[in-house]
Amino acid sequence: MIKNRKLLALLAIVVLLVAACAEDPTPTVEPVEEPTEEPVEEPTEEPAEEPPEEEMAGPINIGGIHPLTGGLAADGIQMDNAIQMAIDELNAAGGALGGVEFAYLGADSTGAAEVGQTEAERLIGEGAVALICCFQSAVTSNVAAIAERDGVPLVIDVAVADAILDQGHTYTFRLQPNATSMGVNGAQFLAELAENSGEEISSVVYLYEGTTGFGDSVRAAFVEEAANLGIEVLEEIGYAPFEVTDLTTEMTRINSLEPDALVVTGYYNDGLLAARNAEEVGLDVKVVYGIAQGTYDQPQFVADAGDLAECFYDSNYHWDASDPAAQEVRDSFQELYGEEMRTSAVLAYQAMYVIADAIERAGSADPAAIRDALAETNYADHILPYSGSITFDDTGETEVASPVVMQVQDGQIVQVWPTDLAESEPLFPCVSWGE
Amino acid sequence: MNRLRQIPGDYLAVAALLVVLGTLPFFLDRFYLSLALLILFWAYLGNAWNIMGGYTGLFSFGHAMFYGIGAYTSTVLLVDYAISPWVGMLAGAILAGLFGAFVGFLLSRFGVRGHFFALGTFAIAEMVRLLATEFEFINTSIGIHIPLVRGDSWIRLQFEETFANYYYVILILFLIGQIITITIVRNKLGYYFQAIRENEEAAASLGVNALRYKVISVAISAALTAIAGSFFAQYFLFIDPTIVFGVSVSVQILLRPIVGGVGTIWGPFVGALLLTPLAEFTRSVVRKPPSFLDFIEGRAGVDVMLFGAILIIVVLFMPDGLIGAGKRIWRRFKKQNDTTAQPQGTD
Amino acid sequence: MKISRNRRWILAGIAAVVLIVLIALNGDQFDQWMDQNGVVLRQAFVTGILIGGVFGLVAMGLTLIFGVLDIINFAHGALLTIGMYITFVLFDRFGIDPYLAVLITVPLLFLLGGIIQRTIIYPARNAPAHNQLLLTLGLALFIENLMLVVFTATPRSIRLSYGRGLTEIGPLAIDFPIRIAGTTITLTKLAAFIFAVFLTAVLYLLLQRTTLGKAIRATAQNKEGARLVGISTDRISLITFGLGVACVGAAAALVLPFLSVDPLVGNAFNITAFVIVVLGGMGSIPGALLGGLIIGLTQELGVVFAPSSTKLLGVFFVFILVLLLRPQGLLGKKE
Repeated sequence: MIKNRKLLALLAIVVLLVAACAEDPTPTVEPVEEPTEEPVEEPTEEPAEEPPEEEMAGPINIGGIHPLTGGLAADGIQMDNAIQMAIDELNAAGGALGGVEFAYLGADSTGAAEVGQTEAERLIGEGAVALICCFQSAVTSNVAAIAERDGVPLVIDVAVADAILDQGHTYTFRLQPNATSMGVNGAQFLAELAENSGEEISSVVYLYEGTTGFGDSVRAAFVEEAANLGIEVLEEIGYAPFEVTDLTTEMTRINSLEPDALVVTGYYNDGLLAARNAEEVGLDVKVVYGIAQGTYDQPQFVADAGDLAECFYDSNYHWDASDPAAQEVRDSFQELYGEEMRTSAVLAYQAMYVIADAIERAGSADPAAIRDALAETNYADHILPYSGSITFDDTGETEVASPVVMQVQDGQIVQVWPTDLAESEPLFPCVSWGE
Repeated sequence: MNRLRQIPGDYLAVAALLVVLGTLPFFLDRFYLSLALLILFWAYLGNAWNIMGGYTGLFSFGHAMFYGIGAYTSTVLLVDYAISPWVGMLAGAILAGLFGAFVGFLLSRFGVRGHFFALGTFAIAEMVRLLATEFEFINTSIGIHIPLVRGDSWIRLQFEETFANYYYVILILFLIGQIITITIVRNKLGYYFQAIRENEEAAASLGVNALRYKVISVAISAALTAIAGSFFAQYFLFIDPTIVFGVSVSVQILLRPIVGGVGTIWGPFVGALLLTPLAEFTRSVVRKPPSFLDFIEGRAGVDVMLFGAILIIVVLFMPDGLIGAGKRIWRRFKKQNDTTAQPQGTD
Repeated sequence: MKISRNRRWILAGIAAVVLIVLIALNGDQFDQWMDQNGVVLRQAFVTGILIGGVFGLVAMGLTLIFGVLDIINFAHGALLTIGMYITFVLFDRFGIDPYLAVLITVPLLFLLGGIIQRTIIYPARNAPAHNQLLLTLGLALFIENLMLVVFTATPRSIRLSYGRGLTEIGPLAIDFPIRIAGTTITLTKLAAFIFAVFLTAVLYLLLQRTTLGKAIRATAQNKEGARLVGISTDRISLITFGLGVACVGAAAALVLPFLSVDPLVGNAFNITAFVIVVLGGMGSIPGALLGGLIIGLTQELGVVFAPSSTKLLGVFFVFILVLLLRPQGLLGKKE
């Protein structure tokens, strides 16, 4: 009897709810006896919000996924803004395909893979025909798989892990040099800089962030190339970038190893800490040389560290500082958002233009057509320090992608290597606390 | 009597869920289906946590260690030895179960309880994470990519074409997890667990070997958690120590059962039903806020603030979780009805 | 009984291992090792102690709250972040020296702590422990992201106009950073350490000598008993929470001169603070300082022997050992 009654009640509730939620999406919380209801109800809650896109007249939706909250939000927010700025510029210049406007759908990955994935699904569901993402390799790997499954092209603005494009994806392209390129070029540039100035760099210590994967992968590439170049890596010292509060002991240890140079890879805060602590212990090296270091090529570094910032090197992806167009972009960004535009944001901005170019050539906003056009990209009008037009190889890497070496000189970040992009002569050897 | 009558109802609910949730892929688009998938994923994990955290009263703040062991075991077996993730899943569960038994034994043997148990599990999980960033054979902090498979492969547990397959896998896992919990709670094991939670000394004086049953509950919980880790790896195709061993994983795992109702069979599921879409909901509010809240549009962080505030409010006003709050309302409702209707006396 | 014998065995085992390591390092090998690493070892000691003092100060607030209210406050680090931002604004906008700013951050955070206790902690005083944990987690999320909205994620840091080169402190003129035998001591860290020790002493005296302090200690030991002798435990809980958060306010002002602040910076201190509380003994102020020093040293000595991103590994190891062998903490009283 009682069992039957329960069963009946259960059935009644299910039927009722299915009927009810078809029209009334009030998100009530009724978890009590019957947990079957909500998954039915919950999903029906939102589709009403998505206006069906009109086929031709509607805007071309571009999705962007970046960490807008969490530890990497400083870059993520700028990148999000930069794409919006690019879209506003493009729309002001007449949009694409003869007057169709772009619309930006921004999303927050919160730095977590599962959120990045859901957001990618959402953006594609809302009609994004191309994606720009993600700043973190972990999130990017995942979004790339989604893009592949759903057949929507993805242009990676920043994310270094080589492996992302080793998967045989056909819908994913990357603007930034990958970890290997950063590490290998970083090592080569260091050797060239030394040779050029008649100094010898025969030994280095590598200080790197060792918990998020980024520092480790760049370090691995550097160490391998250094062996080829005859540079001895005396020790590789890792640290936890989000927990580190002091590096004085590490710096003292590095001092006791007596290397010619200190090589650093990490994020902004820890890079600043390393610089401060290096000065405090009077680190006795010829140069401090960042590779893909998120600090030593930022104007904020000069503001935060003052005189101490002088001489610091960084071999990193960057905008082309010798190109006046790049300066214009950065000026308008500063005007709009009140912050110095970071390199990551420049790449996000550039990614949008590369996509717009592909859409124009495809003559259509169909994702598959955009992908084919992207594969044929030959984009010369860029503001990146690459020695030629942007073209993608079979795996989707930008063929000409390469880092550039910068140095802080008289409070300015200037490009010093390779010579064709140099704004100034590199100072070598040079540390701000020397003698 | 009452308890016995209730329990078949729980099994029935599992069957009903299988039917209702099983049809979802037919009328949900990819986004909502992936959201539903995540709800079930977290509900499954919450349930696994609940076995030790809820029923046995061993508040784990370090479930990421079991989760990560599962993720890494199946991934290493797949990538280095080409062993099917299904086998890897099982291997991960066994490994995590053993590790869980060790952790449970270590802490329980020395009488670590309450807050200290939580902090102890937290510290061990952090140690595991830090070690993982150093081990070469799991590629240090760089992490491991799972090679993409074209098309659908049940053996490799990857579905490029039929996304719904992922959903069905987690649905079945979730329901199996529920059945395991229901069965445990129905049997002696569950009574021992709860007796230990209520009063360990009293339980011991009645002849319950508290240490043994604590270890068993941690081992079961750990093994189930590891399976979700393997699933995660197959679904997201990339793992690194921060993603699978990080503190935030441990927090995410315990959030849902607490909000839903600690030590209740359906609490983790109900908690997941609320919290998983809630994050999505707060994000959508910030994206397109109502007109009087225009100023928050697109402001990064407001959504998480909102989430934090709602979490606080829910916990403050429903101290025994959604299930507990629901039961209270139900009882009040029933009392009102009973006074009007004729007395029945079946309770 | 059985357990305590067990513990003795384990302690003996640890002592044996330490002895073996010492013997292995003895003689020429030891001298050689010292030649190479002596300076690093000295620096590790100095840095460990200086930074340990600050860790201790942060943990002191936590240990008070833990001892009296019996909750794990996961928002502790987030409150530190608030304190650092307040100090930053005071310096950046009003040019107030961070060491003077202590006078402002401490009362402000005391107030904030009181408000938080009244609105969030107090209503849940009878709820199960895991609810309070969740509340503080929610609070941490809220604060971190409030800071993100207000100050953006761009890290902020300050630069003192003094502290490099010859600096006059009262009658003394000291050349900073101080360099003795290859080790470096900077003004910012030295000041933080001295302030931290000073504040510990103040707090200790407050708890030992004043009626308020006695009431707090009584409440921590036995809530029922305290209520029976006429102490308003609700009021004591409120004040204690305020005091605990005020400690963080002081620590924040001391840390900012050498560490940049972003919305998540508090996490770095949160973890160590928990470890220290258990290590030093719940509710023990000197225990927190001692724990801070031990953790600071453990962390830095790790750099001498195995420099890596797993600096905290040793810290957690010590923590687990204490948890198993002396759960009441080094200076805690057995219940």
